[in-house]
Amino acid sequence: MTDGGRHPRITLLTMSEVVEVKGYVGNFQVKILKKARYVDEKECTACGECTKVCPVVWPDEFDLGLSSRRAIFSPFPQAVPSAYVININECLGHNPVVCAKCVEACDKGCINFHLSDEEIVEEVGSIIVATGLEVYDPTELDEYGYTRFENVLTSLEFERLINAGGPTKGELIRPTDRKRPRSIGFIQCVGSRSARKGGNYCSNVCCMNTVKSTLMLKEHYPDMEIKVFYIDIRAFGKGFEDLYRRSRRLGVQYLRGLPGAVEETPERTLTVAVENTVTGRLQILDLDMLVLAIGIKPASSTQKLQEMLGLQLSPDGFFLEAHPKLLPVDAATRGLFYAGCAEGPKDIKESVTQASAAAARAIRLMHEGKITSEPITSMVVPEHCKSCGKCAEVCPYNVITVDVKKKIPAVVNTAACAGCGTCAAECPFGAITMNHFTDTQILQQVEALLEEDPREKILAFACNWCSYAGADYAGVSRLQYPPNVRLIRTMCSGRVDERFIWHGFLKGAPVVLVSGCHIGDCHYIDANHWTEKRVKKVHKKMSKLGIRPERLQLEWISAAEGLRFSEVMKRMETLRQGVTQDEISETIEILKNQKK
Amino acid sequence: MGTIDLSKSDPNFRDQLTREPGGEQISACFVCRTCTASCPISAVNEKFNPFRIIRLALYGLRDEVLKNDFIWLCSSCYACQERCPQGVSITDFMTLLKNLAFKEGHAPVGIKTQMELIKAQGRIYAIDEFDNKKRNKAGLPSLPTSCDVVKELLA
Repeated sequence: MTDGGRHPRITLLTMSEVVEVKGYVGNFQVKILKKARYVDEKECTACGECTKVCPVVWPDEFDLGLSSRRAIFSPFPQAVPSAYVININECLGHNPVVCAKCVEACDKGCINFHLSDEEIVEEVGSIIVATGLEVYDPTELDEYGYTRFENVLTSLEFERLINAGGPTKGELIRPTDRKRPRSIGFIQCVGSRSARKGGNYCSNVCCMNTVKSTLMLKEHYPDMEIKVFYIDIRAFGKGFEDLYRRSRRLGVQYLRGLPGAVEETPERTLTVAVENTVTGRLQILDLDMLVLAIGIKPASSTQKLQEMLGLQLSPDGFFLEAHPKLLPVDAATRGLFYAGCAEGPKDIKESVTQASAAAARAIRLMHEGKITSEPITSMVVPEHCKSCGKCAEVCPYNVITVDVKKKIPAVVNTAACAGCGTCAAECPFGAITMNHFTDTQILQQVEALLEEDPREKILAFACNWCSYAGADYAGVSRLQYPPNVRLIRTMCSGRVDERFIWHGFLKGAPVVLVSGCHIGDCHYIDANHWTEKRVKKVHKKMSKLGIRPERLQLEWISAAEGLRFSEVMKRMETLRQGVTQDEISETIEILKNQKK
Repeated sequence: MGTIDLSKSDPNFRDQLTREPGGEQISACFVCRTCTASCPISAVNEKFNPFRIIRLALYGLRDEVLKNDFIWLCSSCYACQERCPQGVSITDFMTLLKNLAFKEGHAPVGIKTQMELIKAQGRIYAIDEFDNKKRNKAGLPSLPTSCDVVKELLA
């Protein structure tokens, strides 16, 4: 951290908040609100004289309220920059100055009450999101009695108590009597792996943190009775199993089973009821102290940042990576990367690995000063554009600018366009050309595929990343599916224009299938939402015109679902057999009349 | 506790249970035993163990679950259901088992008698003139001696 602060090419903006992000890869403009520190961070030598005279006492956040600090303080000993800071809401007052003892105490005159928050704009090429985590608040799990019983602590509070730099200088004491506990219990999975309260995912770090804590305790106090209540100890990773084994060898009792209820005795010890899975017996244990291994949850800023940067979240609420295996540190939008717990619960080692990877990925992208992009981008024909703004609304990447009021035609930022083609499909005036997947190209494919015996054919639109790859996978897996399926590939199902579907029916297609990635898996953020909406719209129109809506199908098939692909195709074939020649002719008639 | 004899397992029992309200989530149980540790009945009577009942049901041991009287010990306090991290509706599941057991005629005599009393009189505890006299002495209004509404409800 200190190294980062000293590096000549790293600008560290502490106490700052990102307010707005504009632009695209290579050209981001980031508006930052830099909050006033009221202490000159370059001049302050962190001598601490100011703290000595400050009369305002507050609970120390870093020690989780186990010690106190003043209104002018350093958040923690290794804080970067090593300068003090005034919490102006706690300070006795600077306008007018009523106390100003710190100003008198500071020889260097670093304290300046006239500083104010400032807004700065930085131009950056890429952004790494490393906004960290928050911990689960176990108060809602009433059965464990956190906050009701003083001797029930969270793992973080415990950590401060056994830390040599903590409020007790590393001496473990019970909050109630300030004496060393003779027995201590750890409860695992508090707020993790729960469908009801907290997260339903594994928080990844709590098992090893508890193992580490028990080892520290056994080193300091070999006689202490230590019990760990767990469901599964997840000691995966290098050296972890060794640590776990050592902890057990040193006499830590690992008891499989989560406590159901914790009660306090008049002596302020804790009675814990737990069923031991090994013996199948309910045990009532008496412990001096209880530590809750609390889980990790996404930082509360996540949602705001997600909206600001146009990112996606996984169902857990953490940021979603572009690909879980192949692009684990990239966001779906180019030029954005993730590091650390912002992307999911992880330990220090994994966070460092991911941060290094993210930095390297960003450097790789930036070092040349230019980037190569796919030629598959959309293009607006300004003469046809009526500046309605539909394209800008549907673009998942927000790269289309159009002034609806001044009627300035839309412009696509081709450097940032990912090429899904949703804009081209939604444009009511046909003013957008999707390079390499133009309307003409696709309509001619439709015609060619339905030229002979259209009644025998199934017309299927498949997106490049999921459904087309699913078809490929079905082939590689030697799965049988009806040979009369005719696939038309588009980059995204969002490209499938209403007109392609109508043209298919006009040319005598009995069944039309639109297929793409599952909702939430779209390779173009959420373009397939528009596919879904569009298909619904077409279904409505079909019912109005008297065409059976079942003849247009929408299916989500992922790249790994070869079996599903073949099953869907078989279903399409059954559907196709139910469509008579008369019905097709009638449809063609309806559509022809419609055109007139 | 004893051994579990899987030769009597009925593979359809689990499917039957998961289709009924209250049983949908039972296969999500990951044996953390929070339920048993929370249960006030388990604390005083080893025979009742919600975790074990769920396991027996998952193994398909129909008779062992439905014919035993331990399912009737549940006090429906909902402590287990409230605390289950996997979202298993344990108390609702116990109610489901009780209903199934009743349908198959395995209810304890006491429960059956209660049922008959409710059907006949609308009350578990019959009120007669004697009770009303005592109530009146204590300054309480009389209660109707018969509850025909319940008969209508159950008809």
